[in-house]
Amino acid sequence: MRGHGFLLANYVPGTSLIHRMPLWLKFLLVLACGMASFLIVDWRLAAAALAVLCGLFLLSGAGPMRLFRAVRPLLPILLVIGAFQWWQLGGPVAARIVLNILLCVVAASLLTATTPLHRLLDGVVSLARPFRRFGADPERFALTIAIMLRSIPFIAGAFSDVRDSARARGLERNPRALVLPVFITTVAYARHTGEALAARGLGEPED
Amino acid sequence: MTQTHSAGTLQPAKRRRWNATDLGLIAVFAALVAASALVAAIPVGGLGVPITLQTLAVMLTGLALGPGRAFAAVGLYTLLGLAGLPIFSGGRSGLGILAGPSAGYIIAFPLAAAAVGWLAAVVIRRTVKFRAVLLFVSAMATSIVLVHGLGIAGMMVNAKLDFAKAFLADLPFYPGDIIKNVLAVTVAIALHKAFPDLLVRRVRQLPQRATTPQAAAPEATAPEASAQQ
Repeated sequence: MRGHGFLLANYVPGTSLIHRMPLWLKFLLVLACGMASFLIVDWRLAAAALAVLCGLFLLSGAGPMRLFRAVRPLLPILLVIGAFQWWQLGGPVAARIVLNILLCVVAASLLTATTPLHRLLDGVVSLARPFRRFGADPERFALTIAIMLRSIPFIAGAFSDVRDSARARGLERNPRALVLPVFITTVAYARHTGEALAARGLGEPED
Repeated sequence: MTQTHSAGTLQPAKRRRWNATDLGLIAVFAALVAASALVAAIPVGGLGVPITLQTLAVMLTGLALGPGRAFAAVGLYTLLGLAGLPIFSGGRSGLGILAGPSAGYIIAFPLAAAAVGWLAAVVIRRTVKFRAVLLFVSAMATSIVLVHGLGIAGMMVNAKLDFAKAFLADLPFYPGDIIKNVLAVTVAIALHKAFPDLLVRRVRQLPQRATTPQAAAPEATAPEASAQQ
């Protein structure tokens, strides 16, 4: 938790067709799958679409383990929903609901598995470009994202430091002692970051 | 240069732009929400019921930063999580979240931070007594209306549950939410004591406004700008 390694966990390097696809096309694919989950009414169609997407996922070289890992966090809740809706609405409808959710999840993880993190972040920053005339500033937006990414390990470290010191004082079950120092540290850290930016002439509005 | 010019012409109304400290607060609080979704849950009291800190961090961002900056911070977190950074609870990420049953809660986070921030700003400007109670009421109202409301709507849309069943599925989150809101308010009050100018600034900036462009111009070209830390 002290490094940035966890942020890179999703990407699989490769040169497949999907890796070389432009980001907007992949995004459109994910969007289409999201729309499809409202339009597809036949569970066999949903199963076919899911099979195609799983095929694409495996074709990109990410491997079946990673496909399973993308779906695993949702599996328990999907089992509950599937069983419940089977009881309530019957087998085909339950299958359709579960398959449509899986379809969206696989499509989205296909996007993140084949796009490097910096390309994704560039994509997010370019979202701000159309709003420039309303006062949005893509440069400051990108700067804010960079500061956020660099702050995550620091704050995760603050959580574990504060937990250690609370345990040393025998307060490991006192929520206030576990949480308050983290937030004080956070605000102080944010202010120091702001002062450091201002000292370098960064991040101030241009007017 | 053309950019600043057009911004000036398009926005005759004076809008206070965020300075570097505001950017730092937005970025670090977005990181705080991300980190609190990633660290392990803490056991509460003698019951040992673990609570995750994510909604606590969202509420506290609102209570600490006020509507605009809180919306920006939590919105940034949500946007980056949807873009594929593994920063949602349990290390999940990506647009696939929007198809799952917890989509409503994720969408509600930035709105809830903004709403509770607006209420907190009103409470802190207008009142002196019973601040803790009023802040708790605003946090509770926000989480009932926005977080649970949109959470139920998300389950109805994605898991195709009807309202009564979605309501029942959402019910187990209430006790944890009450605990978290109590905790959020105690922490928020301590934060505003430690940093009195965090949310409400009582600094008057009247004549100094006109001189800032001239003062800022030579600084921008100063050689220190390129110096490393």
